[in-house]
Amino acid sequence: MNSPRKFDSIPKLRGIWKYLDDYSLPGMLHGQLLYSTCHHGIIERITFPDYYDPDEFTIVSAKDIPGTNIVPEPVCDQPFLAEKEVMHYGQVILGIAHPDRRILIKFIKDIRIKYKELPALIDVKECLDNEENHFGREITIDHSTDELPDRNWIQNKSTFYTQHHEQAYLEPQGIIADYNPGMRSMFIRGTLQCPFFVKSGVEAIFGNSMNEVIVETSEGIGGAFGGKEDFPSLLAGITALLSFKSGKPVKTVLQRSDDIKITTKRHPSRITIETHTDPKTQKIMRCRVDYRLDAGAYQTLSPVVLARGVLHATGGYFIPDTVIRGRLFRSNTPSNGAFRGFGVPQALAAMESHIDRIAENFQVNPAEFRKSNLLTKGKELPTTQMIKENNLSDCLERVLEKSDYHRKKTEFEKWNRTHKDKKGIGISIGLHGGGFTGNGEKVLNSEIKIVIDRNADVEIFVANTDMGQGAHTTLSQMFYESLDHPSNKCRIVLPNTSKTPNSGPTVASRTIYIIGNLIRKLALDVKAELGFNNLQEYVSSHIGEFPREFRDKFTPDPSVDFDEDSYQGTAYKDFSWAATVTEILFHKDTYHIEVIKSWSVLDIGKVVNHAIATGQAQGGILQGLAYATSEYFYKPGFGRLTGFTDYALPTAMDVPEIDVEFIHTDSNIPKGLGELPMDFPAPSVRNALHNATGILIDELPLIPERIQPLWSENRDS
Amino acid sequence: MIVKFNLNTKPVEVDTNPMKRLVDLLREDFNLLGTKEGCGEGECGACTILLNGKPTASCITNAIHAHGGTLITVEGVAETPEGKLLIDCFDATNAVQCGFCFPGFLVSSYHYLLNDGEPNLNKIKYALSGNICRCTGYHKIFDSIILACERNKVK
Repeated sequence: MNSPRKFDSIPKLRGIWKYLDDYSLPGMLHGQLLYSTCHHGIIERITFPDYYDPDEFTIVSAKDIPGTNIVPEPVCDQPFLAEKEVMHYGQVILGIAHPDRRILIKFIKDIRIKYKELPALIDVKECLDNEENHFGREITIDHSTDELPDRNWIQNKSTFYTQHHEQAYLEPQGIIADYNPGMRSMFIRGTLQCPFFVKSGVEAIFGNSMNEVIVETSEGIGGAFGGKEDFPSLLAGITALLSFKSGKPVKTVLQRSDDIKITTKRHPSRITIETHTDPKTQKIMRCRVDYRLDAGAYQTLSPVVLARGVLHATGGYFIPDTVIRGRLFRSNTPSNGAFRGFGVPQALAAMESHIDRIAENFQVNPAEFRKSNLLTKGKELPTTQMIKENNLSDCLERVLEKSDYHRKKTEFEKWNRTHKDKKGIGISIGLHGGGFTGNGEKVLNSEIKIVIDRNADVEIFVANTDMGQGAHTTLSQMFYESLDHPSNKCRIVLPNTSKTPNSGPTVASRTIYIIGNLIRKLALDVKAELGFNNLQEYVSSHIGEFPREFRDKFTPDPSVDFDEDSYQGTAYKDFSWAATVTEILFHKDTYHIEVIKSWSVLDIGKVVNHAIATGQAQGGILQGLAYATSEYFYKPGFGRLTGFTDYALPTAMDVPEIDVEFIHTDSNIPKGLGELPMDFPAPSVRNALHNATGILIDELPLIPERIQPLWSENRDS
Repeated sequence: MIVKFNLNTKPVEVDTNPMKRLVDLLREDFNLLGTKEGCGEGECGACTILLNGKPTASCITNAIHAHGGTLITVEGVAETPEGKLLIDCFDATNAVQCGFCFPGFLVSSYHYLLNDGEPNLNKIKYALSGNICRCTGYHKIFDSIILACERNKVK
């Protein structure tokens, strides 16, 4: 297995790799945010403590914004700083800076805000059940035949709910802003995924009063998972404003208790699926999906999540007559945002649970029922895109075989008859389209650059960040392996918007699939253009030509076309596929689900770095399993959780055995990997619980308080 | 007050508020930036140090507790033969992802290697139960420590 070591492991282990809070500048102030603790209201009065000295503290409010008080997003509706009305708990009202972080935190605690409270909607079900409560935006994928269902077909209908889900990157959000009054320029350093998004954010808040904004990431980005896609723009805007007003560098690192309460989460969902299945063939003939997301108080990037969600709503199944309707709903909670999976985990949770419901209804094996309805070669997605491969069925066959699914299922049924605790085994399958949705990659038009110096050392300039996925190791590897150049002579330069061309954001499982393949193409183009076999020898014999710069841009495939109005065409050129089997033990006394083992088989095409890809898959699968079992962010009557003590992340003691296998790795194309492992595991746990207990729960997470009443009901009846 | 202790094998003293959190003392007064603050409530383990030989969350431990004691941070662990062995094993498996939690994992696994060192998965899981990693799914961390335990025994 090809697994070159990561270039950054040793400095990270030694504690010398610099994360955001490890940077300091002379005279630097610390910044923090004062945010609303009211879910919806009018700010009537802000009272500072008696000891407040305006010379000591720098305070910025909406009035200090010289440019636009709107964060640039796909929908521009969220202010950087609240003006009069607060729309949700956690909405930022003031940015405050002081030389001493501890004094600053105490000062913020001592500030009192009086609100005129207004009606607020904070319950997920109240938000999503109310038809009238949507934002007005709607996506429809219409692949209907206009025929009425056959009267012999069997109808099944279910409504599935999922809750908020916290990214829980280990390094909290943080930004350093350093204003240069002479140049009227702003330098931003941050733990962030998308440097050019943050640049746009800071440019927006200053308008014409800033000549230049430069964004560079910190050396280390301590995890992100989507959580550092859009929130850093807001934090950078406010921190930059503090630096602008104070004339000093300002560092804002959020405390975990603030970070978890005010930043973006995975969208809660309510997905209703209605199917008609032909009992003779056991094929699903007709499907109607109502896909709803709770966007929070503002839409921000939610329409993009909605688009990906509806495009994956029927999962890995072929259903000839399908209509999918997607809508965004409003609530008085912080705007939900990007999180690994981006609408797909919700879609698959609902669809994969529904599939088990139909299989139960027909009294057929869930594996066999899936096989009857799988998206295979020649079948069509609801967008009319034709599937060209049987890779999903290969994933499913392989995982059933290696998990010994059929034998275990029979064995567990026998075991369960004589034991109080119950064993269960469940399946789910999934898919994830690589790169931006639809024409997104055409619009992004990503550009990359390399510089080869006189020693044949190669610097690669991409805007895509390494937040732990190993992207910079793998991207560099894709370059040097293409040219058979020594690994220690290639490196990715730390992304900086003044040096790096805009190769787009680090999102959408696109870094290796789009940018990596672009790097490989550029390497081979350079080789062809200069006509060398060995780069080192070529540089030595043509030293006068170097240093030399080469650039390339993403070339769209002309056969790929997507109609953004009708949602017909090719939404994603290449899909990655997966199938999983999960084994659980249900503890009757505690109503607790113990995940014993998870087997997953993934098709991501060519695997560039096997160890890195395996680590990505294992980490994503554990996130997916915990999404099903323990991660519960908002409890009615309790409120938003406040930290890692009450938000139950899996520890080393909770992790089951995780078996990962990649198939079809002889492909030439490395496809998307980042999000897929988070997408598919959760419903397999729900289906395993069903197998163990007979209980069908249409909601995640599967916490004991949710299982207990259904268990009792089941036994009573 | 003057707080005196032994830090990474050297005696040190510092004039500080005895209630200052050790994570702040190490980062601000000694510029030892390897100790990370992930949660501030003793839950994630990114700030783990060895205080008098025991893994300790430095974000919920005050400076006064170090007085007269012995303190080892990730920077100290990285200089020891066992620390170097562990670093090599974590590197060999490509276990590290974002890396923010790894200084804490290195300290906890160093403690395990010194005080038990058996390549036993269940014991290793227990030894790491105070450290949260969000990226890796833990398995490559376990593999690395088992590898280090095996290599340490052979040595």
